[in-house]
Amino acid sequence: MHRRQLLQLSALGALSASLGMNRDAWAQASGAIQFGCPVPMSGAFAANGKFADLGMKLAIEQYGTALNRPLAYTLLDTEGKPATAVRKVQEASQQQGTRFFAGGILSSESLAMGKEAEKAGGIFITTAGADEITGKDCNASTFRWSVPTFGAIEQTVRPLIDAHPKAKRWYTITPQYVFGDGLLSAAKNIFKEKGLEHVGNSYHSLTEKEFSGYLTNAMAAKPDVLLLLNFGSQSSDALRQAVSFGMNKNMIVLVAWASGLEQFESLGADLCEGVYFGAQYWHATQAPLNLELVKRSNDKFKSNPNYSLAGSYICTKLLIDGIVKAGTAEPKAVVAALEGMKYAGLTGDEEIRKGDHQVLKNYYLLKGKAKAKMANKDDYVEVVSSGKSFLPLDQTGCKLA
Amino acid sequence: MSIYLLQVINGIGIGMLYFLLAVGLSIVFGLLRFVNFAHGAFYLLGAYFCFQMMRWGLSFWLALAVVPLVVGALGWLTEKLVLRHVYAKAHEFHILVTVGLALVIQELVILQWGPLGENVPVPDMLQGVVMWGGFVYPKYRLFVIGFTAVLALGLWYVLEGTRLGSAVRAGSESTEMVSLLGIDVFRIFSLVFALGAATAAIAGVLAAPMRGAEPFMGIEALGVAFVVVVVGGMGSFSGALIGGLLIGVVQSVMSTVWAEGARLMIYVAMAAVLLLRPHGLLGRKG
Repeated sequence: MHRRQLLQLSALGALSASLGMNRDAWAQASGAIQFGCPVPMSGAFAANGKFADLGMKLAIEQYGTALNRPLAYTLLDTEGKPATAVRKVQEASQQQGTRFFAGGILSSESLAMGKEAEKAGGIFITTAGADEITGKDCNASTFRWSVPTFGAIEQTVRPLIDAHPKAKRWYTITPQYVFGDGLLSAAKNIFKEKGLEHVGNSYHSLTEKEFSGYLTNAMAAKPDVLLLLNFGSQSSDALRQAVSFGMNKNMIVLVAWASGLEQFESLGADLCEGVYFGAQYWHATQAPLNLELVKRSNDKFKSNPNYSLAGSYICTKLLIDGIVKAGTAEPKAVVAALEGMKYAGLTGDEEIRKGDHQVLKNYYLLKGKAKAKMANKDDYVEVVSSGKSFLPLDQTGCKLA
Repeated sequence: MSIYLLQVINGIGIGMLYFLLAVGLSIVFGLLRFVNFAHGAFYLLGAYFCFQMMRWGLSFWLALAVVPLVVGALGWLTEKLVLRHVYAKAHEFHILVTVGLALVIQELVILQWGPLGENVPVPDMLQGVVMWGGFVYPKYRLFVIGFTAVLALGLWYVLEGTRLGSAVRAGSESTEMVSLLGIDVFRIFSLVFALGAATAAIAGVLAAPMRGAEPFMGIEALGVAFVVVVVGGMGSFSGALIGGLLIGVVQSVMSTVWAEGARLMIYVAMAAVLLLRPHGLLGRKG
């Protein structure tokens, strides 16, 4: 089965989810430990949600049971909207007794679902980026696997400055919501510290598709670096249009938060060539668990895992490992089991920090390869650098009771 | 060159695409008194059919010629097999049928091509940019402006200078009268609906190298098309052109004046026009 066929089958499932039907076989196993996969299955971020669904499915199938109970999951279409996401989590919690949720692509929906999971006495683990999730809006029920905006900027902007010391003028294009502001704020701090000139920023809405106006602003400011702080299809659209304006020839382009393989496939090698990307995950990482996931994904789907799939897989796996470690499916005990847990993760050694429920893991700076230099169809980028950057606990603003 | 002048020029480029998106919707409404919520889906099909033809190794130019014909034929069939049966029913039926049709087309696109977006390369001869003083603009976008301008002239001629156009204009005033004159109005309806679908498909083909092809692009396009039609006046060809250009320029200039509100401002512009001229800039009363 190829990736395309896989997605076609996934799309069939998405249709049923959008019509309010659950993944029947998985969701209705009696006595099962119920998981929820609240992700956008429609709207601009649906592609991420559809891969996330596959990631949870892979993890649930891999384990099959925990504590001698079957594992089951329900796909919940959040539509990328916080209000819908909260309603779906409430329904799953009240109607099916679901206590374990892994999902949330957008920070706004993840923040809302984290609060709802706490109210419902459950656990929510996400890959969304806003610092607040494990910062000032943290709570005892919410965990986050991905590196927050602070670390994403630290691990992309700093190495890029080191690699291009003459690049002094930076222009940013930012989506106006909590995630974009987090990235922008972290970038501004580095510009100030390094004495770089932030020659301008264009905010845009979450529904924007047309970036030529913002790019015209950027070109007029004559920057050395164009820093794109948006995500998903918006960063693809912005990059595609920047390349059409020839900006990749006149300046360095950095997409601080790329979604990795899925985004490179959708853009194609020609658009990615020479562009820098920040990424949470890259399938070629030589970590034992990642090698295992790559094999599992290729065996099952005949394709390499991408970020959305891998993120959902590891979040689900962490929840199951927590249940097994706790010896019970009681959420409070599982939270205690997860706190401080060290494990061999997808990006190398990873650890769940007890004080804010943030997973400490690597973030990657990648650079697009020329098509002629790609060793295989997924070899879009070279890894320029990787590392861990996290605010010290006392600076996160997180106060877990 | 002033940044505002750059943004106005850029806005004209955006506006021409918006015109092309909206003109079919406007003409269909003018004649059929029927709001086609499936219009964005024809735009979506245009982009994906173009992508598919280029994947087969065929040229963009062939796609630009063939795809509108194919989508226009699909529009013609849709009108004949589905929509014709709900004309006499209440507007709720029109909405239900066309929204349903749009969702079916969108899900079929996802089934066929997957939920990820696809890249459509700019044709080789239109790669690169033109530089004029401090102004940098992609050659492809200039082509879109020129091509759309020529197309607009052609459409204007069809509507104003041909027998078909006369029937369409007369039909938009009174279908009963046209019918009494012995003209087959249902044939005119089919042709106009096919024309609307074809123009949406041309917009899809032209937009694909700028924005790629992705399954949810039809919904966004439909929203913009509605704004343009409301601003220009429902059923007005010239209104669609002026509305498209106005919205494109507002959006582009606001990217500099108040970037975070650029998207919002196209809806503010629509609200302002509705307040000052409830029937749109060039719309008719009644």
